[in-house]
Amino acid sequence: MTPGSDSLPAPAPAGAGRQRRGLRGLAVQYLIVLAVILTLNFLLPRALPGGPLGALGGEDVGELTAEQRAQILAEYGLDQPIGVQFATYLRDLARGDLGTSFINGASVRSLIAEALPWTLLLVGTALVCTALIGLVLGAWAGSRRARGGGTPVVVGVLVLDAMPSFWLGMMLIVVFAVNLGWFPTFGAQPIGTDATGLAAIPGILHHLSLPALTLVLVGLGQIVLVVRSSMVSVLGSDYLEHARARGFSERRLLFGHALRNAALPVYTILLIELGFLVGGALVVETVFAYPGLGRLTFSAVQSQDYPVMQGTFLVLSLSVLLANLVADLTYPLIDPRVRTGAGAT
Amino acid sequence: MSRLSGAVRRLGPLGWVGLALIGVAVAVAVAGPLLAPFSGTERVGPPFQRPNSVNWLGTDDVGRDLWSQLLLGARPSVVVGFSVAIIAITIGATVGAYAAVSGRRTDAALMRSADVVLTLPFLPVVVIAAAFLGPGMGVRVLVISLLTWAGTARIVRVSVLSAMQRPHVEVALAAGASRRWLLARHSSFIVGPLLVPLFVRAAAAAIVLDASLNFLGLGDPTQPSWGTMLYWANVRGAFLTDAWQWWAMPPGLALLMVTAGLALVGIAVEEQINPALAATR
Repeated sequence: MTPGSDSLPAPAPAGAGRQRRGLRGLAVQYLIVLAVILTLNFLLPRALPGGPLGALGGEDVGELTAEQRAQILAEYGLDQPIGVQFATYLRDLARGDLGTSFINGASVRSLIAEALPWTLLLVGTALVCTALIGLVLGAWAGSRRARGGGTPVVVGVLVLDAMPSFWLGMMLIVVFAVNLGWFPTFGAQPIGTDATGLAAIPGILHHLSLPALTLVLVGLGQIVLVVRSSMVSVLGSDYLEHARARGFSERRLLFGHALRNAALPVYTILLIELGFLVGGALVVETVFAYPGLGRLTFSAVQSQDYPVMQGTFLVLSLSVLLANLVADLTYPLIDPRVRTGAGAT
Repeated sequence: MSRLSGAVRRLGPLGWVGLALIGVAVAVAVAGPLLAPFSGTERVGPPFQRPNSVNWLGTDDVGRDLWSQLLLGARPSVVVGFSVAIIAITIGATVGAYAAVSGRRTDAALMRSADVVLTLPFLPVVVIAAAFLGPGMGVRVLVISLLTWAGTARIVRVSVLSAMQRPHVEVALAAGASRRWLLARHSSFIVGPLLVPLFVRAAAAAIVLDASLNFLGLGDPTQPSWGTMLYWANVRGAFLTDAWQWWAMPPGLALLMVTAGLALVGIAVEEQINPALAATR
């Protein structure tokens, strides 16, 4: 980044670059995505090679007589025209009915309700830590780059970014849990614990550490790079030169001006990162046997428990959608340039 | 294209390291079946063996040779990564460039569809598609490509738009040249330098995504791959014992090597060709 490149717009989420379209365009876009997700969720089980019957599990489909087949189809309403099926599907969704699990007959909704808080805890913690550490590291690397340094941080962060999260998780378990014994290897709480409320917190935090650390390390890369580049561009900008000429101390410049402006894209990156974190949590929870949505999805995939799979897919997708929507809606509040349309692509 | 070759010449140590890493991966992917002592899918010894003179990395829970799996696993990753990158860039660059030189409505429609794709949550969509559509490599390549093209389209569009605003292009436009004709003549100059960064980004993302799919057990069980090795390592708790050293670490390191290599090359080239990418990073 060369000095004076403050004319380049900061990275913005999918919506902010087209603020002229306004809220209506944004709403249309998100509704379309929602429709795509719902349709995917509806169609895919019916795309199975064995037909929708394959998705029902249970009987060996090939052994059913034609009569039994017709009976099952009628029972699940699968003999209705597809339009009617879709309408039923939407109606059930609106009522919050996500079906029942093949494996243990529990309602999908209750399974998800049990798992969701753990995922939220994991993802939330990881997000906050990533933001804080990323800001500090990125700012440091940015201020060093002007003097030609900071490369080790960038390379280090890049390596972390390139690492597959599930492998990193496994390695962390090996080092910190199995060999050093500092942390537990699986679960969200110590086994057989009766602790509830405040007393349960230390156990929970203990079990949370390694999974959260994995997510943080993997997500750090993006944040550090963004903060660093925006830091560099701010530090080289004219108004900062001016402030420097007026005699402000380097430290005041760094924290008072540079950091605040550099933090701008971090906000959106964070919210977008939330989407990736949710996906990343899927894999990390699997490694750590952490009882969140990700783990639920994994065991559903393994046992071919399609209702649960569809339920978790829906919830995961909707959360990512929500995060992106919040990012798009709130970004103009933070970046005045977007509001006034200046410097946009 | 001279800008591109100039950038390659100034690759710098990071870039060369990256290139070397990628080179090793590609070489192993190509020569895998020749180098691997066993097939990786059949039982060749007692399970859970430590590394020895026959099985250099020991055996897995069924007794399959891990070293062969490691070597043979290069091919699916490299093939998927490169295929996705090629497909995604072809679609994305075409859409992005076309949108940039078309009228407002076409541009808006194309970009809106790109935004829709970008807003979809990657991993859940890929997981559910793979879960229902089956474990074949073609399915994975298709699904990942359909999600990756959108990012490329946006970047290419920005690049073409800014190129269209350059003085000499404005002169040509004023003289009556159509934007599409200009694009056709100059597209390699405009899009060329972007190709390398776009390619490495798409390939790296695809490789990790594909490995994640395999790790979740959605991959092809008949084909050894790094993600699948880690799947079994996880399911059989290899990292709770010594076995992590020869079962869990090598495939992860292999994945890391390829993605880090791609990322390094991307960074090295990006440093030279800056503006459009830096703006959208």
